[in-house]
Amino acid sequence: MANVPWAEVCEKFQAALTLSRVELQKNPEKEPYKSKYSARALLEEVKALLGPAPEDEDERPEAEDGPGAGDHALGLPAEVVEPEGPVAQRAVRLAVIEFHLGVNHIDTEELSAGEEHLVKCLRLLRRYRLSHDCISLYIQAQNNLGILWSEREEIETAQAYLESSEALYTQYMKEVGCPPLDPTERFLPEEEKLTEQERSKRFEKVYTHNLYYLAQVYQHLEMFEKAAHYCHSTLKRQLEHNAYHPIEWAINAATLSQFYINKLCFMEARHCLSAANVIFGQTGKISATEDTPEAEGEVPELYHQRKGEIARCWIKYCLTLMQNAQLSMQTEFCPGWSAGVQWCDRSCNLCIPGSKDSPASASQDNIGELDLDKQSELRALRKKELDEEESIRKKAVQFGTGELCDAISAVEEKVSYLRPLDFEEARELFLLGQHYVFEAKEFFQIDGYVTDHIEVVQDHSALFKVLAFFETDMERRCKMHKRRIAMLEPLTVDLNPQYYLLVNRQIQFEIAHAYYDMMDLKVAIADRLRDPDSHIVKKINNLNKSALKYYQLFLDSLRDPNKVFPEHIGEDVLRPAMLAKFRVARLYGKIITADPKKELENLATSLEHYKFIVDYCEKHPEAAQEIEVELELSKEMVSLLPTKMERFRTKMALT
Amino acid sequence: RVAVRVRPLSKRETKEGGRIIVEVDGKVAKIRNLKVDSRPDGFGDSREKVMAFGFDYCYWSVNPEDPQYASQDVVFQDLGMEVLSGVAKGYNICLFAYGQTGSGKTYTMLGPPASVGLTPRICEGLFIREKDCASLPSSCRIKVSFLEIYNERVRDLLKQSGQKKPYTLRVREHPEMGPYVQGLSQHVVTNYKQVIQLLEEGIANRITAATHVHEASSRSHAIFTIHYTQAILENNLPSEMASKINLVDLAGSERADPSYCKDRITEGANINKSLVTLGIVISTLAQNSQVFSSCQSLNSSVSNGGDSGILSSPSGTSSGGAPSRRQSYIPYRDSVLTWLLKDS
Repeated sequence: MANVPWAEVCEKFQAALTLSRVELQKNPEKEPYKSKYSARALLEEVKALLGPAPEDEDERPEAEDGPGAGDHALGLPAEVVEPEGPVAQRAVRLAVIEFHLGVNHIDTEELSAGEEHLVKCLRLLRRYRLSHDCISLYIQAQNNLGILWSEREEIETAQAYLESSEALYTQYMKEVGCPPLDPTERFLPEEEKLTEQERSKRFEKVYTHNLYYLAQVYQHLEMFEKAAHYCHSTLKRQLEHNAYHPIEWAINAATLSQFYINKLCFMEARHCLSAANVIFGQTGKISATEDTPEAEGEVPELYHQRKGEIARCWIKYCLTLMQNAQLSMQTEFCPGWSAGVQWCDRSCNLCIPGSKDSPASASQDNIGELDLDKQSELRALRKKELDEEESIRKKAVQFGTGELCDAISAVEEKVSYLRPLDFEEARELFLLGQHYVFEAKEFFQIDGYVTDHIEVVQDHSALFKVLAFFETDMERRCKMHKRRIAMLEPLTVDLNPQYYLLVNRQIQFEIAHAYYDMMDLKVAIADRLRDPDSHIVKKINNLNKSALKYYQLFLDSLRDPNKVFPEHIGEDVLRPAMLAKFRVARLYGKIITADPKKELENLATSLEHYKFIVDYCEKHPEAAQEIEVELELSKEMVSLLPTKMERFRTKMALT
Repeated sequence: RVAVRVRPLSKRETKEGGRIIVEVDGKVAKIRNLKVDSRPDGFGDSREKVMAFGFDYCYWSVNPEDPQYASQDVVFQDLGMEVLSGVAKGYNICLFAYGQTGSGKTYTMLGPPASVGLTPRICEGLFIREKDCASLPSSCRIKVSFLEIYNERVRDLLKQSGQKKPYTLRVREHPEMGPYVQGLSQHVVTNYKQVIQLLEEGIANRITAATHVHEASSRSHAIFTIHYTQAILENNLPSEMASKINLVDLAGSERADPSYCKDRITEGANINKSLVTLGIVISTLAQNSQVFSSCQSLNSSVSNGGDSGILSSPSGTSSGGAPSRRQSYIPYRDSVLTWLLKDS
């Protein structure tokens, strides 16, 4: 040991590290790995200077580590063993070299060699892996092996290494706790050793990366909830250790909220979004970090963009929460009906059993309406939800401590995470969503961000639509649909139909449906009046006309450049196209006119469209599956209408 | 449509004793797995010896002497002519060249002066067509633009000198014009020679020209766009029909550049080392969790009388019956390239 020229060893090692960090671009064009190879040579020299590896004591059976330790390759050690004495010290030093050689080989795409070195490193450290001296290096070596195996697409092996690191960290923090030695300190003179604080910082960084790698592994294994949890933890740790860029962090948290929204975990989503708001607000106060902003002019641009994007995430939160509520409280369609059965003989609590002559349709009147029974059920459930709130919150991953935690809670308190059960609660969410619509539109203006702008407007329209569900007064509901139309119609005027085909179709369809709903509402209102006057009739017909116009525009958009309607309708537009035809048919049947000739004409057109549906579905059986319900009803109308029309003609002939 | 083209062995490959394991048979390309082949007892080996892939076109360009040889002209006759006929009808066309660095993309797209590739030939074809446009004088207008995408930034390769450093252009969407690159210069061309000149100028301006970055052409995409406007008669009224041809020379696949692949998520199960990519991981998670099903989307209507309201179908594929919409919003992280080429 005395023969080892320590100073020389350290020097060489430092030189090797410096070379390893040389950017590949700085190397000559044809030799991108030149610096790596030089570093490798130096490391090999250091290794030689350190002398041979201590005898492989670890080859002996597991009994060495304590009885019943169950200590297979990646299991937890039973106790902390400090590397004391010259032999152990040498082993540790060699382990550091092996580690760097391993990483070096991996960087030059020599995975097998890399693996060999890293495994050797692990073997040398194995006994001492829980010690203050060795744990950081051990975990890093395992993590690198995890990454290596992922490149070989053996993801389970990667998982094993990474989970082992995770467990080891946890055990260390529990049993030892003090910030461990950082591997780079091995070959540094005493004066240059790191502070406790710095050691802790680096060790925590290693663990954060460990969690991040596990998040990726779980994603590849399709364990999505777990992956999200680990992403969540990674974000949390970035905050705790002040290792983040506020804009970047905020957008990541906001994106994660979308995952939670998709899984209907609104409490978690709300937490992420609130945190995003708070951290985003820190922009400007924190100086540039590892991710230095690119060009001068670009930072403010990104700031506004991210702000708009976070706003859009919030919109989706409000919208999805409201829609989820609607889904749980709306009257369902009776399946017995969809089979074409005219009366319901199932014991469903929706339909009133009827007979062939008086079908159970009466109960189908309120399809899509708020079901009071369901509402009361949910109200009763609410109390339970509130009771459970605390326990759920404790289990969830919470961002920040102290001041940060308070700031986040302040935002959270203003937003509900529970499904709204009545208009008042729905309105709260609506207003919040609307606020974010305006914020989003500040950045996503139509000139420059057409698609995004339109999506925001569509969301705004959807907010109104779902609010209408909770509104009990029919006139006010009409007004909401009217607002929707007012915001959607201008969009269709300016858009180039060639570039924005899909979006145009979506808007046309939505406007048509809004007019359709409005018409039905007016009809319902008229039905309740004793004497519906000509004014309301005119209104109904106008709405009918408008709905027809837009359904027709939509259907026309399916035609080819020669204006021919396709023989075979594409899969992606099949259902909407069929629905459009169906509603057009129904609309023609609902035009109110005193002129019998006109009435007959309308019925004929209506029949034509119903026929189209029946015929098309016969020729294309896959279409029949898409619109079971409408097909049944169309068939019904095809058989009923001719008779009705005949009766009409007879009546006309007589007068 | 997808075409595959096989090039001859390079000098280095020949020196190292490389063998050709690709075979073309009509519209099928076959690859032989040498490792499987060389085993003494092939029995019980479940791996395929030969894997076959079907394409719309397969071009064998290994040996010019070979009767099967697909020359630049052959490739043009198939692919180039289709582009031209589509453009004449008013369609937008996009032609991608994809492959590893050194696989011959630039040869196919541009080609040496002695045997030019698709881009020059397509331009030539357009000019020939223009001569044939008998109906109206100067009835066709051709403009070209040339941009490069490097590190997610867009640069104009034909920018008039005056700017020392090429600055970044912004990609935006216009309601009338669709997605476009703001500030990208368009150059009117009236003959074939001009086009070649501009092409060469643009290529010289590519990031490869910058000395301190090596093999950068393997990391940047170049898009050469031809705007073709024809005067036509529609319902006996003079009108214009505009089409665009995008000729895209894609960057070599990332594996060719070792330092690059460490920073990006590649296909497969590779783990990203740096936390810089946390955002991408989260985006992917959120994206994968999206559903287009009816459970989140709604389809309510107030119904009256015997007619039933329209409801979500059992298969639950659409929202409100309309063409589908997503239930969550994923902040945009995609590449500039895909966004830019959305319209064709």
